[in-house]
Amino acid sequence: MLELENITKIYDMGKVKVTALDNVSFRCEKGEMVSIMGPSGSGKSTMMNVLGCLDRPTSGSYRLEGRNVSSLKDNDLAVIRNNKLGFVFQSYNLLPKLSAVANVELPLIYNGGHNRRQHALEALESVGISNRAHHHPSEMSGGEQQRVAIARALINNPLIILADEPTGNLDTASSRTIISLLVEQSKKGITVIVVTHEEDIAAYTQRTIYLRDGKIVEERKR
Amino acid sequence: MNIWESIRTAWQSIFANRMRSLLTMLGIVIGVCAVVLLVALGQGFQTSMKTTFENMGASALYISSSTDKAVKSVRELTLEDAEALADPKVAPSIAAVSPTLSQSVNASYGNNSVTVQCMGVMPEITKIRNYTLEVGRFISEQDIITRQNVVVLGYQTALDLFGSESPLGKSLRAEGNKFQVIGTIQKMGGFAGDSYILMPLTTMQSKIVGGNNVQQIAVKAISPDKVDSAIAEITSVIRARHYIMPGGTDDFAIRDMREIMNSMQQSLATFSLFLSSVGAISLIVGSIGIMNIMLVSVSERTREIGIRKAIGAKRHDILLQFLIESSALSFTGGSIGLLIGVGGTLLVGDVPFFGSPGTSIQPQISPTIVILALAVSIGTGLISGTYPATRAARLDPIECLRHE
Repeated sequence: MLELENITKIYDMGKVKVTALDNVSFRCEKGEMVSIMGPSGSGKSTMMNVLGCLDRPTSGSYRLEGRNVSSLKDNDLAVIRNNKLGFVFQSYNLLPKLSAVANVELPLIYNGGHNRRQHALEALESVGISNRAHHHPSEMSGGEQQRVAIARALINNPLIILADEPTGNLDTASSRTIISLLVEQSKKGITVIVVTHEEDIAAYTQRTIYLRDGKIVEERKR
Repeated sequence: MNIWESIRTAWQSIFANRMRSLLTMLGIVIGVCAVVLLVALGQGFQTSMKTTFENMGASALYISSSTDKAVKSVRELTLEDAEALADPKVAPSIAAVSPTLSQSVNASYGNNSVTVQCMGVMPEITKIRNYTLEVGRFISEQDIITRQNVVVLGYQTALDLFGSESPLGKSLRAEGNKFQVIGTIQKMGGFAGDSYILMPLTTMQSKIVGGNNVQQIAVKAISPDKVDSAIAEITSVIRARHYIMPGGTDDFAIRDMREIMNSMQQSLATFSLFLSSVGAISLIVGSIGIMNIMLVSVSERTREIGIRKAIGAKRHDILLQFLIESSALSFTGGSIGLLIGVGGTLLVGDVPFFGSPGTSIQPQISPTIVILALAVSIGTGLISGTYPATRAARLDPIECLRHE
């Protein structure tokens, strides 16, 4: 369903060229939950950016549902991010001036969706936080904010959820809630890819790949 | 992204930074205010000029003593000069002649008192200027001969002194004398306005000014195309009466209506230029201010731009969002400027024309002004928002998300 083939990403920093991803191939099936681990600078973020259609690889191909998306234009990538992908960030990345429900509505605004408020409330309900719908991010705990972020990621029924250190800022209890929510999504058929530092978070996933110096050095199935 | 959604977002952002937005708008407020005043005054001037032309006629000429310092000895204009011009055998192109005197006097009735322009005139003045009686009668030949203490009042002066009372037959006091009101003139408008007192020239000579001189001789040519030959006849008659040698300089000046209007129009053009410069400079400064604030806003909201892009905002969504925000800012400033401009115009009412008393322009507010002002303000917003918005739209989402 998702397939990276010989993906290389080179950053041209003027004098030096930095190879962030070196000939990476990786595939993932519908409903699979995969974790990516590796030391900082190993290329995890670059891989997430490529998977998230925020960045294009220097070479190689990225196929999503059989469609090659590695050379699409900015606006087409924006449409894919909007319709097919959901992002969950370490620092939640909610807009501070908007209420929880307005934050969840945002992706619908960019594709002209109807009944936005109602859909957003349903998404909040599905992550168990509808009681906070009209609160602003600053009035919520980290775990609550991350649940709002997951609701936002779910609003357009994505194929893939990309979670970049989703529990990095959370305590153990909240971390468990968040990772369980993500596991629940994968059981519903959404592919979930999680970047993490923590082995016990990775333990929730079916498969872990280890990156080092832009290469996949190890792959472990559970 | 929906336009209404963008407008709502823009409003939220403007309101969230009330003080900053207000200060940013100031330039646009002043600029639009200046534009409104400019157009209102310009349109008022056009109307006044039209009325003045209708009241005075294009074929009117005004002779006065020369003020040129090069002329050594100036003979004052006299009643006899005027009588000589009235002779159709000598000056066939002249239809009517009316010598006039004018002076500012203090007139009072009961507790009411006004300072007003008093003009000594002959009955012939009605052939030159368009005085239409409201009530009573005009100054007659008999009044001139017997130097009667009678006056005819302009519309505004009648109102100022007598209010709702009928002034006919009542006496007002001016310069230590009593004058009986024999008539009032209808509202005329124009630059001259409606504040004036008319009295027989001879009465004015003996009771107010003293002497036999006149200040001005108003002349009407028999038709507008005879104005030039009328000027030639006046020149030869007066030169002969004032014993000016061939080659000597005229000790009098003849002005026709066109000339007077031209000089007025020129002063208005200077004034307009001044106002439009103020308006243009304010708008430029205002738009730089908006551009600056928008750049600040873009850099403050880099992370927001990153988030919006990550969840599917396209370039033009971001572009539109910031363009709408800058236009909303400018539009709000423009609306405030428009309100102040229109309010100020209505509040001030008549504006004395370059400080000379008795003359006035009534500024006019038309729908054109409203449309112009709002268009100018939205345009300014779009222009000043273009660069910041383009910059925001081009930002790389990855960089934005990393931004603190």
